[in-house]
Amino acid sequence: MFDIMSDPVGSLITELINCVAWMFLFKKCGLKWWQSFVPVLNNYYKGLCANRKKEGKIMAVLEAIMLILEIPILIGQTSESVPTPVLLMCILVFMICFIMLLVYDIRMSIALCEVFGRSKKWLWLWIPFDSLTAAWWGLSKKFVPNRLATDKEEEAELSGIEAAASGEGLTVNINERTAKTAFQTNVLLKDIHMTIPKGHMVLLLGGSGAGKTTYLNAVTGYEKADAVITLNGVNIYEEYNSIKYELGFVPQQELMRGNDTVLKTLSDAAEIRLPASMTRKEKDARVMEVLEAFGLAMLSGTMVEKLSGGQKKRLSIALEFISDPNLFILDEPDSGLDGVVARSLFEKLRAIADEGKIVIVITHTPDRVIDLFDDVIVLAKDSTRTGRLAFYGPVSTAKRFFARGTMEAVLRTINQKEEGGEGRADEFIARFSHVIRLMEEGKSCDEAVNEVLASEREVAAS
Amino acid sequence: MNREIKDVKHKGRVYQTGIYLGKFFRMFVFQSDWKVMPMAAVIAGLVGLVMSGTLFKTMEGTLTGSFALSCICVWNGFFNSIQNVCRERAIVKREHRSGVHISSYITAHTIYQAFLCLLQTIITLVVLSRMGVAFPADKGGIVLPNFYLDIGLTIFLTTFAADMLSLLVSSFVRNTTTAMTVMPFLLIFQLVFSGGFFSLPDSVLGLTNLTITKWSLTATCAQGRYNELPMTSLWVSMKKMGSAEVTGEQMKEYLMTSPDIVENPEVAVAILAIPDDAVFNLGDMLAVIEANNGAYEIEMKSGELNYTAKYASDPAIVKNSWSMLGFEILAYIAIATAALEFIDKDKR
Repeated sequence: MFDIMSDPVGSLITELINCVAWMFLFKKCGLKWWQSFVPVLNNYYKGLCANRKKEGKIMAVLEAIMLILEIPILIGQTSESVPTPVLLMCILVFMICFIMLLVYDIRMSIALCEVFGRSKKWLWLWIPFDSLTAAWWGLSKKFVPNRLATDKEEEAELSGIEAAASGEGLTVNINERTAKTAFQTNVLLKDIHMTIPKGHMVLLLGGSGAGKTTYLNAVTGYEKADAVITLNGVNIYEEYNSIKYELGFVPQQELMRGNDTVLKTLSDAAEIRLPASMTRKEKDARVMEVLEAFGLAMLSGTMVEKLSGGQKKRLSIALEFISDPNLFILDEPDSGLDGVVARSLFEKLRAIADEGKIVIVITHTPDRVIDLFDDVIVLAKDSTRTGRLAFYGPVSTAKRFFARGTMEAVLRTINQKEEGGEGRADEFIARFSHVIRLMEEGKSCDEAVNEVLASEREVAAS
Repeated sequence: MNREIKDVKHKGRVYQTGIYLGKFFRMFVFQSDWKVMPMAAVIAGLVGLVMSGTLFKTMEGTLTGSFALSCICVWNGFFNSIQNVCRERAIVKREHRSGVHISSYITAHTIYQAFLCLLQTIITLVVLSRMGVAFPADKGGIVLPNFYLDIGLTIFLTTFAADMLSLLVSSFVRNTTTAMTVMPFLLIFQLVFSGGFFSLPDSVLGLTNLTITKWSLTATCAQGRYNELPMTSLWVSMKKMGSAEVTGEQMKEYLMTSPDIVENPEVAVAILAIPDDAVFNLGDMLAVIEANNGAYEIEMKSGELNYTAKYASDPAIVKNSWSMLGFEILAYIAIATAALEFIDKDKR
């Protein structure tokens, strides 16, 4: 390591040999040969070859840090212009990076063995003779990768039709929600447009990684997307500070302090969330009303940590409900609850929706309470791993649209094959974009689905 | 509708601070937060047990004892709040999204922690006093008229600064495991770079200004009148050499090099009269000096010759140390607030 620092010319020659050796492997993996010669970034490209993008990024960052640190270390070794503590710190960080790079190098080599379908025993050759092995694998015809770094499916068809902003209800127009890193931009959600009317209770369905939480965060404005979201005509992104009191988001975990009483927890929430113009008496009345509504009145003096799972869940919902929000979102409110308690909880949510609120719920056991929902939003990962809208409409229409009797079966249909699903997400995304176009012409969701299904049957018959 | 929502006002920062203060004080009374008090008493007791014989009595004891006192303050402060924010990070994120101001949350923590630190300061002073530490209370304080108020403020500021530093760490890290991993490193940094106890190379002396312990140690030594105390190490070293013997010839050879003796004919004659083969035991000579109260004089002279300007009992030095601690406290609070403002960016 320190030879490299003290002999930059030698290190440059070593690096060049390494680049030449990797050049052939890069070509074999579908990359450009010159990418091997791009300093620092070539680590990222190695990650692409090994189907380990994340590790590649980390290696590139580590190497960049090491390169930067080499400057003060080299100067410090030849002159006294670098203060000793700075030099020591640089050497320390350099060594940490070096060790981390070694570990990631091992991980990368294992991943390469997987991509090329070779035994992990090759690791014994990869670690000491990295360049030699890379050249061997790159030049020999015996070594063929089972996937190319450039493998990327075409994305499913876009509807591109925006939902008309409604003065009432929730209008969602998400063009794109991306996550940018130093290396690339990942599209997490794309082309999601809908209008949810007031008083509707909506099930949000999707496999893991389909973007359910990302969707909810985009809708609530917690993580902004390239989107326009309006709630009862108010733009959530533009008026976030005012409208955040109209949004109630119940997280999956019961995020409350266990060492306070139910009453104090709720009244503190009331103090923060209710308008300042309300008197103490009015606030107290609201707290009592919510306690009664969620069956917590008898437990008002109980410490939160002493509550059962169902009681905690009800208190968590009550915390959000205290401000009487117009949009109520719940992330797996039934997790850890038995069927009977879960059912009663969903019935309570139904009652909230019936008061004219919009209730959106994520649940992994939808079928036991599906009769309580009006609509279902189905999100699915398309072949580019982007979260897309595969359906939004009434539950009964969804069953016909997917030709499945249960929501769990719907989920299986759209899930990717590696997740144990049928991998038909793209097909339904494309089908739903046709439905949206027909709805744009004034048809109801049910009519549009019928028409699309009929036309598909005709095509199949002919 | 748009106008209606915009017009609705909610409780502001001051009111929210009050809500959180209520929460924290309820936790102090009904939950386990009060347990930091007996812990402070136990730690102060242990230090008192070891240091009561020398703290504020000798230079060496004052330096070591002041360092130990700074360390217990830092320890207390660190443990007060190292887990406070990170253990409820997800809750804070939820509350922030529903309208809580981070500045209110941190301000409430700051006030509550100041209360804890104040109690710990009183406990530490009482315990050390009970353990027999010789506080020079009769001389009054350096800045404030009362010595206990004077040193109490130093102890409070030290504990509070450490508390705010750990609150800052707690605001940065995502979980308690990371917080507890970071804490020992911070503690070691505080101990090693205190600048008074360990000899540090010149190149890193600047780092000592960043520590809490440096300013705490400086203020405590100044308040303990470090430079007015005897230095015992020379006398102790000499006593350790009590069995050594000196011949008359060696004594004459050494003493006659001193200009004071050469210029004093009477003393010089007396020394020259000592037979060359006479043998003197150093222990016996020290016993004679000790019997004539000369040991104290030597210790005081030794102390005088080891005057350390940075620990002078000067109000400016104490005030400067307090200012530095105050500055660190404000900086830690500001950074903690800024760090926590980004809590919404946390991954789920």
